[in-house]
Amino acid sequence: MEHIKVVVHLLINGDAHDLAIAPEATLSEVLRGQLGLTGTKDGCGTGECGACTVLADGRPILSCLTLAFECQGREITTIEGVACNGELNPVQQAFIDAGAIQCGFCTPGMVLATIALLNETPHPSFAEIEKALEGVLCRCTGYNKIVEAVNRAAEAIAARLKGGTSCQTP
Amino acid sequence: MHLPRFTYVRPGSRDEAAGLLDTFGKAAVLVAGGTDLFPRMKYRISTPEYLVSLSGVTRFLPALDEDGALRIDALMSLGDLSRSPIVRTHAPLVSQAATCVASGQIRNAATLGGNLCLECRCLYYNQSHTFQFVEPCFKLGGDLCYFAPKGNRCWAIFASDVAPALLSLDTVICVTGGPGKQRRFPVAELYTGDALSPLTLLPSEIITEIIVPSAFGTGRHSFRKFSRRKGYEFAGLSVAVALQVADDGRTCRDARIAVGSVAGGPVRAAAAEAGLPGQDLSNSETVRSAAATAAQEIRPIAHHGYQAAHLRHCLEVEVLRALTEAAGPAPLADV
Repeated sequence: MEHIKVVVHLLINGDAHDLAIAPEATLSEVLRGQLGLTGTKDGCGTGECGACTVLADGRPILSCLTLAFECQGREITTIEGVACNGELNPVQQAFIDAGAIQCGFCTPGMVLATIALLNETPHPSFAEIEKALEGVLCRCTGYNKIVEAVNRAAEAIAARLKGGTSCQTP
Repeated sequence: MHLPRFTYVRPGSRDEAAGLLDTFGKAAVLVAGGTDLFPRMKYRISTPEYLVSLSGVTRFLPALDEDGALRIDALMSLGDLSRSPIVRTHAPLVSQAATCVASGQIRNAATLGGNLCLECRCLYYNQSHTFQFVEPCFKLGGDLCYFAPKGNRCWAIFASDVAPALLSLDTVICVTGGPGKQRRFPVAELYTGDALSPLTLLPSEIITEIIVPSAFGTGRHSFRKFSRRKGYEFAGLSVAVALQVADDGRTCRDARIAVGSVAGGPVRAAAAEAGLPGQDLSNSETVRSAAATAAQEIRPIAHHGYQAAHLRHCLEVEVLRALTEAAGPAPLADV
């Protein structure tokens, strides 16, 4: 059976892409394989590790369990799209400052899950941080520093909003 | 891991989807969020020829009926369910149970209807069968069970967290099997209790909506999920308790206790429930004996490394905690 490809129109990090993909291609495969956006990591492939987390319309989803075809009409944000005008996103900066990165494999997922959390809950409690990050596994045992980074990011974003900086987080 | 090849079909309505399922028969699988199906497809446990996707179907927002019942679209994502103000007000137990499912990422994709139709799981079935456990088990069409090698049936468990919550609220399920083939029935009738084919739905039937009646919806309730890690994990067991309490605030009028992840479907602790009406819920002995009865009547299946005796003990503890929490803090004594 010859396999038919389908044409999709995807909106990724604000850029429109028209691509021919196989219907069974997942979003992570398209992001990494066809668009070269390898910041999104392919971990377990079955929804256990959260390394492939991306934002769809601002909410975190697993790109390894999402068909790329079904992402049409949704605004996808990957880790490549969170920096603004060449300046790191406050969450990325907080992760660096807190030393919340060891091997870095979980970091894109952690950062995107944190951005989604802080958009909804600007000052999250420890329990809320735990709940928001439960879907991303860090095997370097760096959770304390990651939680610290989330708190730093919350403070940084609050300070920025006070200062009236125009850079919007996705 | 890649998904196996399939022909993707995207109908515009639920009736049309039911028609397609009817046409394709066993070659087709219905998908909504895909968070339960896609891992199985990646492991090649399920390799459908046609994938009928509900992503093109128009969804409706939860709304109240004239009689106060809450109607929820089966295609509502668990994340939306846990955030929705109307669900949190009128069916808080449902939103609480939805919040306990998996992780935020999965909840944003997974749907209510999909969670009710989860495939049963066991430690052996839910993995790649290419280099170990190659001989097909009952679920894969063979005639052996890796969990109970001498057994003659499938011992997988039904791990949905939302199902026990809906069971305890006397929820009604609406399904469509195509134009003019709608029917509705209590959620208890959705499950066979047999892990091999856990659902009573016909192959072409799709859950369209669920209706949470007002009686238990806003009553006292509690949902507890027991697992090794507190976070993202399938339940070792989950307990949903819904109570109707008399005006004095402590006499039980009606009770529902539903338990998930202990069998091939969610189960009710009928004997424990029967002993509660008319009893004083602030009396710790009443609650204790109900929990003990529940642990006696339900025999949890050992699964995912949990031993049966351990689960039975945890069941008693969790039912006790859930009942205590649902009964609320003991009202001040009339001095």
